[in-house]
Amino acid sequence: MFDDIQTPQSQEGTKFSSVASVRDLKVHFKAKRGIVHAVDGVSFEIRDGETLGLVGETGCGKSVTGRSFLRLLPVPPGILAGGSVQFKPQAACGGCNGEGCDSCAGTGRAATGEQQVDLLKISDEQMRRIRGDRIAMIFQDPGKALNPTMTIGAQVSEVFLQHRSKDLLKKAGLPADIGGSVGRFAHQEPRFGDGILLRVPPNRENRKRVQKALDVMVASSLADTQVPNPVKLMDRFPHELSGGMRQRVMIAQALACNPDLLIADEPTTALDVTVEARILDLIRDLQQRRKTSVLYISHDLSLVRRICDRVAVMYAGRIVEIGPSEEVFRNPRHPYTRGLIAAVPAAGTPRGQLAAIRGSVPELIDPPAACRFSGRCLYETSACRKHDPVLYNVSEGHSVACFIDHAAPSGDQPKYEKETT
Amino acid sequence: MSAVPKQHPSQDVLLSIRDVKKHYPIRDGALQRVVGSVRAVDGVSFDIRRGETVGLVGESGCGKTTLGRVISGLSDPTGGGVLYNLSQIGLQSIDGLQDQASRLFRRNCQMVFQDSFASLNPRHLVVDIVGRPLKVYKEASGSALTEKVVELLEQVGLGRQHLYRYPHQFSGGQRQRISIARALALDPEIIVLDEPTSALDVSVQAQILNLLNDLQKERNLAYLFITHDLSVVRHMADRLVVMYLGKVSEAGVASEIFKAPHHPYTKALMDSKPDLYEDRSETHTRGLGGIVPDPARPPQGCRFHTRCQSATPSCGWEVDDVIGLLEENHGIFEFMNGVERKSAFEAELSFDNEEAAGLLAMALRSEQAPAAMKKALIRLQLNGNRVNLSFDQVDEVPLIQRAGGRESSCLLDPDEISIQGM
Repeated sequence: MFDDIQTPQSQEGTKFSSVASVRDLKVHFKAKRGIVHAVDGVSFEIRDGETLGLVGETGCGKSVTGRSFLRLLPVPPGILAGGSVQFKPQAACGGCNGEGCDSCAGTGRAATGEQQVDLLKISDEQMRRIRGDRIAMIFQDPGKALNPTMTIGAQVSEVFLQHRSKDLLKKAGLPADIGGSVGRFAHQEPRFGDGILLRVPPNRENRKRVQKALDVMVASSLADTQVPNPVKLMDRFPHELSGGMRQRVMIAQALACNPDLLIADEPTTALDVTVEARILDLIRDLQQRRKTSVLYISHDLSLVRRICDRVAVMYAGRIVEIGPSEEVFRNPRHPYTRGLIAAVPAAGTPRGQLAAIRGSVPELIDPPAACRFSGRCLYETSACRKHDPVLYNVSEGHSVACFIDHAAPSGDQPKYEKETT
Repeated sequence: MSAVPKQHPSQDVLLSIRDVKKHYPIRDGALQRVVGSVRAVDGVSFDIRRGETVGLVGESGCGKTTLGRVISGLSDPTGGGVLYNLSQIGLQSIDGLQDQASRLFRRNCQMVFQDSFASLNPRHLVVDIVGRPLKVYKEASGSALTEKVVELLEQVGLGRQHLYRYPHQFSGGQRQRISIARALALDPEIIVLDEPTSALDVSVQAQILNLLNDLQKERNLAYLFITHDLSVVRHMADRLVVMYLGKVSEAGVASEIFKAPHHPYTKALMDSKPDLYEDRSETHTRGLGGIVPDPARPPQGCRFHTRCQSATPSCGWEVDDVIGLLEENHGIFEFMNGVERKSAFEAELSFDNEEAAGLLAMALRSEQAPAAMKKALIRLQLNGNRVNLSFDQVDEVPLIQRAGGRESSCLLDPDEISIQGM
């Protein structure tokens, strides 16, 4: 589906340009019994315009990885123990608003000279400018992520007031540098007494014009997510809406500013299957239209297979396998990936013979230098208990952290033909 | 009443669910008078036989959990009843069971809940939790009790070392195993499993499903497996009951339903979940538009017609559907000031001005309205600022017997749907 975007680049022989790259990210948490290595040396990149799936079981660190992009981690008890998250903001082309036109050669991206930034190092002020504007996030539970005391309209407005004040004033027909209470209103920086000032002329009329322009922007962003009657929806509160509708509002909020990167943390887990299919179609449709890159975090393998271009499998704070999703699902090389895929009930599996992965996820307190999957792996050897495998390339773009395809420094070589337990 | 056809002798039937209804009253006003009722379960019938697994699937809010609670005797039905096969007497309503028989039913019908955090008392040790049923039924005491508990724990893959721990010390999968051990303690005949694996990871889910299957083989257990996950139900269930809005929309042998779903709702459910083992295809998924209607006022005719893609004019189009259409339509709904209903199928809508009334009439004739709805509309009269509407009267669609012991509540023939659904 994204081949048409990527082919020109690969023909030129250049590497894929990436919107963000995570290098050796380590996030630890302080607990009573020691340091929990929740994310322990994760590296990957998100290519321009692709959907990267991040799958794994509960507690493998996939959500922590996603949240570290926006620095939404509780610090303390969290500790950013190392690594970096490089992000390259690519403003949408002004001519077509990201939909692709002649002036930007169909990429939808304006040629900006913006520098690559390390999201873990920049100031809070810089972070705030990126958050919700260049990088947006959709959370698992829309019931919790929306503010129950604000109307839908007011919540979506906040995005524009924070990040699009200039556009807003322009659309309202006011000078961009307008000061006073109206300026503060448009920048969402209310001061004491503004409530009264905004009620006297000429502020009153100006405020009304800003509000009107704002409503138009909110309505159009809601309309993008195919909600029926967006104007009416704006006056509603989150509790009046169904789960699917709330998730649509969250998506509208997240995509309001045309972000370069969307982080979707299990966006459909709380929804019914019938609604899920619709929401996925919506995300995919909007993403294709706006060329947004997506980091899709999920535990559902069948979903990831369907919507992702590449997939990274996480286990115990590490990426154990990463590659193009068709390749990973058709030819999984890591025993854990194989186990996960085999554990999903399929049409032909005889009852009672699901291939479960034995044991349970290890505790991540000061893990030893060994393969994290040893102890549960069917093929482990002495080498797996002595050395910690890193990601090795097995084929074009497909890497696996296992000695099965790569020689271990010492000890016996694990083999798929030989079950050792 | 349409029970599942009896292919087996009736003594094989363990539980027979006959036209079970569970309505919750809606109270309003200062006196808290009952003004209506939420029909969570509205006339459901099927049988559960010894040693088989019946899968109960549907979206959230379709009444599957409520039905599970009624079946296990945790809440009383508003109408109909659950019949239990007592060894000497035969089928008896569980509502009228007296002391001994009631105790017998309760020990033979156990339940495993979805949320193992909430269903295990955090202040009790595992030995107390699993040993409690044994104590209540005076099956064992003292060291014999402990030994029995160890035996049960070993059956579910835990051991003696877990006896004196609290639920919070276990992972989700282990806690679900404790729930299962507790349900097994009294050697029941049937276990009602309410979403037992939806809170678990796939690898752990596989362990639990394998365990449940082993136990079933060993003890000839019957399961009522309530879930929304079709891949799990396909793996586990012998027979399948699909519920929509408090009613059964399709029932029959699971493998046959999966091979060729008949009801458009079943089809939509199956289409919306991608299969891991299938190559990704763009045309495969569709999902369902619209929202689940209010169970306090279920749609007339077929309950699914508001969201159905192969709906026909005789599926029960009514005034509420027109109002639903209006709500999505900015610029008409705001001007409506009254609906005068003669019946669910006939009403007079009045508007503030003639223009809005005209817009409605236009919208109803345009592409916006579903084609089937336009055909079902037998009268549309514009009268100043009033619009008179009437639809064909349609009775509620019953469960219709189909070939091979299948039942479905769809008016269309199976072949017709497959053509229209394309």
